[in-house]
Amino acid sequence: MCQEHKPIGNPSHFEGTEQEKTTAHAVDGTFAQYTQGMKFFDPHVHMTSRTTDDYQALADAGVVALIEPAFWLGQPRTGLASFKDYFASLVGWERFRSSQFGIKHYCTIGLNSREANHEALAEQVMEILPLFLQKEGVVGVGEIGFDDQTAAEEKYYRAQLELAKEMNLPVQVHTPHRDKKKGTERSMAIALEHGIAPNMVIIDHNNEETVKSVLDQGFYAAFTIYPFTKMGNERMVEIVKQYGPERIMVNSAADWGISDPLAIPKTAALMKIKEVPDEHIRLVTYQNALDAFAQSGQIQEADFIHGLEIDQTQKFNGNTVLRGGQAPRIDKDSLIIR
Amino acid sequence: MKTNLQITETIVAFANETELSWLAEQKTLSGKALALAFVKVPRFISKKIIESSEFSSWTLDQLVRLDILIQLDAANIDSLFETAEMQEAVALTRSLPFLPNPSTYLLRATDAVRSNMGPVFDAIAFGNTYPKDYFSEAAWNQLVLKCIFNDKAIHQIIGLDERSNQDLANTLSDFAHERWAADRRVPSQVWRLVPRFMNETLQADIEKLAQSENSRDVLAASLVKQEVQIPGSTQGIWHELENPEPIYTA
Repeated sequence: MCQEHKPIGNPSHFEGTEQEKTTAHAVDGTFAQYTQGMKFFDPHVHMTSRTTDDYQALADAGVVALIEPAFWLGQPRTGLASFKDYFASLVGWERFRSSQFGIKHYCTIGLNSREANHEALAEQVMEILPLFLQKEGVVGVGEIGFDDQTAAEEKYYRAQLELAKEMNLPVQVHTPHRDKKKGTERSMAIALEHGIAPNMVIIDHNNEETVKSVLDQGFYAAFTIYPFTKMGNERMVEIVKQYGPERIMVNSAADWGISDPLAIPKTAALMKIKEVPDEHIRLVTYQNALDAFAQSGQIQEADFIHGLEIDQTQKFNGNTVLRGGQAPRIDKDSLIIR
Repeated sequence: MKTNLQITETIVAFANETELSWLAEQKTLSGKALALAFVKVPRFISKKIIESSEFSSWTLDQLVRLDILIQLDAANIDSLFETAEMQEAVALTRSLPFLPNPSTYLLRATDAVRSNMGPVFDAIAFGNTYPKDYFSEAAWNQLVLKCIFNDKAIHQIIGLDERSNQDLANTLSDFAHERWAADRRVPSQVWRLVPRFMNETLQADIEKLAQSENSRDVLAASLVKQEVQIPGSTQGIWHELENPEPIYTA
């Protein structure tokens, strides 16, 4: 649900000096030298739509944990079973796939705004949400909110806010592509109306127009670095410079569209080049996301910060099973495949 | 066979008071509410490792999940299988031998063998009596072969010697030939599956192993020969080949 390709008419908001611009272009492809030793947490990335090449690249770039929000698969589902299998794959197969690369995989579960418009099916999905929301490693309700801003979208947004409140889970709110400013304000007002503390709500896909109000009202402001339709990372650097790091987080929202799973490390490199303090980089690319979603009680930094520790349940007679980060790696540059 | 009493006693021995009172409260529930308690276990129960002979290598949260499962009806157990996250799938799979009417869950057990999630596969393959007691010969052979194919250590399978068969020995030989053609090898201890089923092909395989530059393969070949001559004489000696070797992922 994260794309609308309009490559034309996306103005450059690069506001650095000419010298910075030259440096930024010169480091293309070798950005990793600027992020040595940094660890990243991507709080919004749809790994189900990505390949193992991406997992390998994420691990190499320092991404140690991520959150995969439940979303729209590019076309509508026609039955409850498809939703059930999708949710189950987010807590099952995808979790395992990620662990093979040493990356801790969490998810948020919810009925996305587009499919909220199929009311008969939406009702059935609401029935199974509580079961999935209680599962280990489910760190919030998401991504939910408005797309077209219809009555049905509002109805299920409200119903899911109630679920989040009941279960004391953070909420990951998708904001619309069209009429974004109004949609964002409306999303926040409704959350407050339901008595949800703003610090339990992560308003996603912000831009220069929405950020001030989101921060002023005490919500977390997430920024999606996504080519053409959302934020570019040059603009992101300017936002961090202007607003500081508090309650701001960066994500890639990489999915089945033309997107970049390395958006966070690349943005961190650009911030480093443009002399954003290291601590600010750490907060917006790692710590703030962790703090926001750890309010679910389902995230322990110790579980991933030193690599995925071996799970004692996976130990039998002194032998260990395939452990996180130990899947045989392939050398991508090698012509010979063994 | 472990009884419900053993499960309860072990939980009491390893859980703290808060955990026990949460569990007691949940066990007054039934149906969907009790199924939800199964889901919520990690929020209230630690993953402490159980050190008891009956439940060796289990964790407390798994044991509590088992305790809840044996009280659940089949429809709710099915629904838990269908919606399981990875740790739930592991707990469900390890619990299979203890459920009422275990044979009705055969498809769940063979699905666990088909799983590509390492921990789920291991939960059915290793330290679990279900395959030995309920698998057909074909399903059993598939389990053992998948272990060998994935370079997992087969001695962790319960009933390995008891359920060995001619078909499995023959297929192992075929598989080893494929590996050798690709300049790869199979873990040495897998040859423990063949002594009772020797034929010309297997004989040739063992001769080939005896000439190997790998000392573990040479030892495997000599153990097979000894077992053929004096059945039962190598019991316990295969142990030397059970320790990790580079080829193992498990």
